[in-house]
Amino acid sequence: MQQKGMVMTTLLPRSMRTVVTKMGRWLGTACLVGMEVTLAMPATSLAADAPRRPNIVVILADDLGFADMGSFGGEIKTPNLDSLAKDGVRFTNFYTHATCSPTRSMLLTGVDTHLNGLGNMDEWTAPNQVGVPGYEGYINKRVATLPQLLQGAGYHTYMVGKWHLGKQPDQIPRARGFSRDFTLLDGAGSYWDMTNLTAATPKSVFTEDGRYLTKLPDDYYATKTYTDKLIGFIDDNKADGKPFFAYVAHQAPHDPYHLPKDWRNRHVGEYDKGWDALRQERLKRQIEMGITPAGTQLSERMWFLPDPIVLAPAARAVTGKKMELYAGLVENMDHHIGRLIDHLKKIGEYENTIFVVFGDNGPEGTDLFKMLTGTPGTRDYLFAATAWSQTHPNAWGDPGSYAAYGPMWAQVSATPFSQYKAWLGEGGIRNALIVSGPAVKRPAGSINRGLMHVADLMPTFLELAGTTYPKTLAGQELPPLIGKSWTQVLAGQAESPRTDQDYLAWEIFGNRALRQGDWKIRWQYKSLGKSDWELFNVATDPAERKDLAAQRPDKVKELLALWDGYVKANNVILPSRSMFETLEDQLPPRVPDEAGYPPVSYKRQFVPPKDMMADPKP
Amino acid sequence: MKPLIRARWAAAAVLALAALCPPQVLAQVPARFYWKTLSGASAVPVIFNSLSGNTNPFDPSNLVTPDANFDATMAMAGWAQTYTLGDRSAMAAIILPMGRVSGGVAGFTETSRGFGDPMLEFNYNLIGPKAQKTIPDVLRYEPGFSLDLLVDLMLPIGEYDNKQSVNLGQNRWYGRIGTPVVWQLGSWVPGRRTTLELLPAVWLFGDNNDFVGQKLKTDPMFQLDAHLTRDFAERIWGALDLTYYKGGGSTINGVAAGKLNNVGVGLTLGYTVNENLNLTFGYKSTVNDSAPTDMRMDGFMVTLVFGWHPIIEGMRRLKSE
Repeated sequence: MQQKGMVMTTLLPRSMRTVVTKMGRWLGTACLVGMEVTLAMPATSLAADAPRRPNIVVILADDLGFADMGSFGGEIKTPNLDSLAKDGVRFTNFYTHATCSPTRSMLLTGVDTHLNGLGNMDEWTAPNQVGVPGYEGYINKRVATLPQLLQGAGYHTYMVGKWHLGKQPDQIPRARGFSRDFTLLDGAGSYWDMTNLTAATPKSVFTEDGRYLTKLPDDYYATKTYTDKLIGFIDDNKADGKPFFAYVAHQAPHDPYHLPKDWRNRHVGEYDKGWDALRQERLKRQIEMGITPAGTQLSERMWFLPDPIVLAPAARAVTGKKMELYAGLVENMDHHIGRLIDHLKKIGEYENTIFVVFGDNGPEGTDLFKMLTGTPGTRDYLFAATAWSQTHPNAWGDPGSYAAYGPMWAQVSATPFSQYKAWLGEGGIRNALIVSGPAVKRPAGSINRGLMHVADLMPTFLELAGTTYPKTLAGQELPPLIGKSWTQVLAGQAESPRTDQDYLAWEIFGNRALRQGDWKIRWQYKSLGKSDWELFNVATDPAERKDLAAQRPDKVKELLALWDGYVKANNVILPSRSMFETLEDQLPPRVPDEAGYPPVSYKRQFVPPKDMMADPKP
Repeated sequence: MKPLIRARWAAAAVLALAALCPPQVLAQVPARFYWKTLSGASAVPVIFNSLSGNTNPFDPSNLVTPDANFDATMAMAGWAQTYTLGDRSAMAAIILPMGRVSGGVAGFTETSRGFGDPMLEFNYNLIGPKAQKTIPDVLRYEPGFSLDLLVDLMLPIGEYDNKQSVNLGQNRWYGRIGTPVVWQLGSWVPGRRTTLELLPAVWLFGDNNDFVGQKLKTDPMFQLDAHLTRDFAERIWGALDLTYYKGGGSTINGVAAGKLNNVGVGLTLGYTVNENLNLTFGYKSTVNDSAPTDMRMDGFMVTLVFGWHPIIEGMRRLKSE
């Protein structure tokens, strides 16, 4: 073991050796894990770097919706992201997981969540999952990580932004393969400072190059600082000519909507029209752009949301302002992504950089703040009263404010799909994906409908880096990758990395789904689900309006057989407790959303014919 | 629904905070007087003053009587209405002063009581946000840099006795033209608002042809009111006040009676009791006023303004059901 470590230290770049030397005992163990992975690499990957292997930049937006970017039908101004779409290719059948850390775990490992440690989110591990391998709440040691493997293949590996995959010294980015990082370890928090969300964890934890930060840099603002740091990392090492892998895990646009003042008032009053009108506008653009097939219907408006037409102007203004802030937050993120793009152009690296852009899950429709702050009399409520009580709309965006746009606007972000983050409706798991760069040989600005998955990134990047996935890690067999490489799709040699027989499957919080070809089965807690299996044809009904389970029991049975195989292969343990277990009791009874009902809310003032009007007789 | 409640609260709070209180007899209004509110709002201001000095507080020309002492206890009540004129904010108000004032030189004291000269005021916004015609407009209101045109006119019908120099009414037409400025400094968030407010104005006076049988003429007078205001919390704020007077030279039958070049400083504390009711408490005093011809005055002022709007009141009724 010691000998292996010595050999590896020699093979590591000087900067990494220095870092390894400086790192404390707690990091040493973690690094050795990475070293052993590298030892298991094929010899070819350790050869001198090919000078023109591509840089890889993954831009992960937190809770960004399918329809938010301009290139996917959004009215939000995202010129820089759209420029990547214009140069590259957009994918409309790309899937992540329904929540944050599970998606990230698959991105970074290529392995199913129930094996890589994120079988459940750390915050919601059920009693029957505690202590079970695969449900650790962080990326466990039985899997290799993408940065570890790329580092071993001669890449610089950089991370900025949100991690949410473990805080212990052997779980942080530096320990899992990133040579440089500036990281928020938590899943959410202030964009301005180290304030976190609950009394139990009042302070966000950050690391920089493997060291836990005692304070944040001056002039800190998450999106800006992350970008500054990454540009610094790139510049620090650009002289050695090695390619880099950059994982840009923006906190934006996750709530709370914290954004600089300059970005708050760019859409004043624009969203007073309400969510229904905006969804219709976005769908129209999506159809015109070819993102969504003609004839696509919008998903039902959630039955517990009002038709904006019936709302008073003030209610529209206040709810609309939340969407204004969200739009500003996305635009601010786009601005900083533009800074990164411009910098890469300036240093001559843009043309050799593959960009991959997507959101980590559907848009957030759950009132996270309410969930976290609890009720009066609790310690979390008291904490919120001191740290998160800037509730005036003019304070939204400032430190201490917590604005989030709620399910009504989340449905807009998910246009045309149903549901949102944490749920397995298409709105929770299907995301906009942009890929651009030298690997893309498809026509610039084209759209592809191949069935893609976030776990595909691992095999794709390994192939682009000229290396392969090792069979073992520290003498232990690694679980198989569930993803498929995109290289042929990007090269225009295939339309999808998957055959009609391949399937994708998801489970989180007890909700579960499986898609094979055009068909999808879904089991979800009431009332967003039926607590029973539903069947949808997501090709003809992407909004999942029509449950076909009763009509096609044969298809349900066929897909359930696949589901059973998935459960067995991945040790899926349905949670004994779920954040949704009492949801049905909290929501009003579910009723269909039918346009124009009840008529009493939509009738107009009757105006008699003028020639029949008269003053009263004396 | 929750956003609606928030909107209602915000609108109502702004209504009261907008401080539709009237100008006062000292020709100084409290800070935050020229903040704008929802068009169609009404307000009843009541202002109490206890003043002492060497000039009659009911006389805005501040005619100084050397070695004299005046004491006044006054109240002013009125009615104000906001509305929209050509897409801009406007306000009209009528204020009626009342109370008693007594004073004079040693051994010779006069007293007057009753009602003073009613004042008509018209204020029109020239620069700044458009009129707040809807509650969303109220929610989005931030003054930024706001400049108004102000016109006041006093009607000479107040209590007047031509046999004495101390009166509530002034027995002449007079008024002022000014340009109130509200300059927002920083965020517009209740609890954190800061403003610099200026009111440069010129007072113009007609002649009093029967001032104890003599003719009182007063030159135009320049007055600058300045306030630096800051929220202490969402419902409480304070202000540093400064007033500067210059000019206003008077003659009585052609004999000069002095003119002003004085500065007054003060403090104001404001408190929003609820969404309708706003209170201020202030004290102001002239400084560098030791010369016999300097204006010398100090006083306490308490203002109470009750404002309402039909929409706000209707929502309150529904809420209380």
